Amino acid sequence: MRVYFSIFRIKTAESFQYRLAALSGSVTSFVWAVIEVAAFTVFFQYAENAGFAGGLTLAQTVSHVWVRELLLFMQPYGIDGDLIEKLRNGDVGVELCRPLDLYWHWYSRTAAGKIVVFIMRCLTCFLAAFLLPGGYGASLPVSLAGFLLFLPAVLCAFLLCCSFLMLMTAVRTNIQWGDGPMYLLGLMGGVLSGGYLPLQLWPDFMQTFLLFQPFAGICDIPARLYIGSMQSSEAWLGMTVQLFWLVVFIALGRMVMARRLKSVIIQGG
Amino acid sequence: MSQIELRNIRKTFKVYERPEGKWALLRGAFSRTVRAVTALDGISFTINEGELVGYIGPNGAGKSTTVKVMSGILTPDGGECVISGRVPWKERKPHVARIGVVFGQRSQLWWDVPVSDSFSLLRDVYNVPPGQFQKRHDELVETLDLGGLLKTPARQLSLGQRMRCELAAALLHSPDILFLDEPTIGLDAVSKLALRAFLREENKKSGVTMLLTTHDMDDIEALCSRVMVIGRGRLLYDGGMEGLKERYAAYEGQDIDEVIAAMYEELAL
Ligand SMILES: Nc1ncnc2c1ncn2[C@@H]1O[C@H](COP(=O)(O)OP(=O)(O)O)[C@@H](O)[C@H]1O
Ligand SMILES: [Mg+2]
Repeated sequence: MRVYFSIFRIKTAESFQYRLAALSGSVTSFVWAVIEVAAFTVFFQYAENAGFAGGLTLAQTVSHVWVRELLLFMQPYGIDGDLIEKLRNGDVGVELCRPLDLYWHWYSRTAAGKIVVFIMRCLTCFLAAFLLPGGYGASLPVSLAGFLLFLPAVLCAFLLCCSFLMLMTAVRTNIQWGDGPMYLLGLMGGVLSGGYLPLQLWPDFMQTFLLFQPFAGICDIPARLYIGSMQSSEAWLGMTVQLFWLVVFIALGRMVMARRLKSVIIQGG
Repeated sequence: MSQIELRNIRKTFKVYERPEGKWALLRGAFSRTVRAVTALDGISFTINEGELVGYIGPNGAGKSTTVKVMSGILTPDGGECVISGRVPWKERKPHVARIGVVFGQRSQLWWDVPVSDSFSLLRDVYNVPPGQFQKRHDELVETLDLGGLLKTPARQLSLGQRMRCELAAALLHSPDILFLDEPTIGLDAVSKLALRAFLREENKKSGVTMLLTTHDMDDIEALCSRVMVIGRGRLLYDGGMEGLKERYAAYEGQDIDEVIAAMYEELAL
């Protein structure tokens, strides 16, 4: 167990060399989010005039936009490029010479790879959003209880995201495949995670499906707890959905990886 | 009793080839021709504890493939292999915990962090007790003269410096067996001499069994009392250096490299 924390630590240290890139990414995030907030403001004004009532209020939607920026680091795409490279050039052989479980070894790496993006890009962008004038910027969580539930939900989301990426990595250990299918799946996951549009603004008849599908747990469920569109008393449901898919992804990922490793061909001399 | 035993090990790789000519790209999407490349065509040998064996053969002969099979990271198609009572690919984790591997063309160090960080990670990976680790660490730092390199990221090391660090990394957990796949490749004369001296000393002092592949006959002459020659996946010679020279007495007076070249030629490799 301890060794996987050590891997996490060394990978985090390594990733910090990209802190400047991540920091400049936070500017991009910020600008995008401001544009989104403006668009939502206009949209809500027209919708209200037309008597349309969505699943969220304007204030909740704006808050959702910023929480989403905070959680952006766990989008369900972007497998650790180093791992793909190791599979391609045969360096995976070196990893297999360690008395470790390759799944948890790479899981720790995948998780660590996200931390720098979280601190330098997402956290800075989110905190900066509190400086914007009221109605446009980030808001505090709707209640203390909501915030206290938000924290474990984010942890679950993080583990869920990493286990999904590990499943993708495991599938990718079939080195004959290209990146196309991965990219599409990632994009679909991004949409279903609520990373583009809060899931509660989708049509009513889709709501049950949207809540129970695996990607809701990556972004939308924690965000709902933060903005208060999921009551604290319902949090258990959200987290059960998260944990359920977490177990499924880990089991699938380990299975695919074990199968693939049996037949993996270590490239190169 | 022999520590390493291979009996009739076979491995064939499938190589997928894209069709050539007009519409090649399009046809390639639907059909690929498969060609079988026999890398190991029934290899058998035994190695005793504490031996230092040289393994030579022309490019593509199957040396690296043999090392991968013995390291437990590649499953052969047929034959038996037992190392210290274990079948490497069936009991990979306990097996690799007791061996060290150096691939001359790959690195086991973390590229962007100081070498010492990679070393401490290995302590956790192999679960070496701290006191024992420190002793071994200091010993290797001293004999390989790594004192000035520990704080340098692996990326900034020269090839000779890096190879010394790789050796230390492979020996920190005091393995029983060390596999070296072309460790002297690309090294200058001084580094080669230092590396040989170290290997000889290490083999004598701690009794580590070593198998070393190389193209450098001087490596073999300086280090190994026993040499195995492989060509096209078959073992062609297994015995002392003198025996090899005797067998090719016709070339007497010539450089050992020429003797080997003549041998390869004679066998039409
Ligand atoms: N992953 C692989 N896929 C296809 N062919 C391979 C693979 N690895 C090795 N080979 C082939 O097997 C043969 C032996 O390779 P190798 O063991 O690397 O030789 P050596 O190390 O002696 O130069 C070569 O013909 C090589 O092309
Ligand atoms: Mg080779």
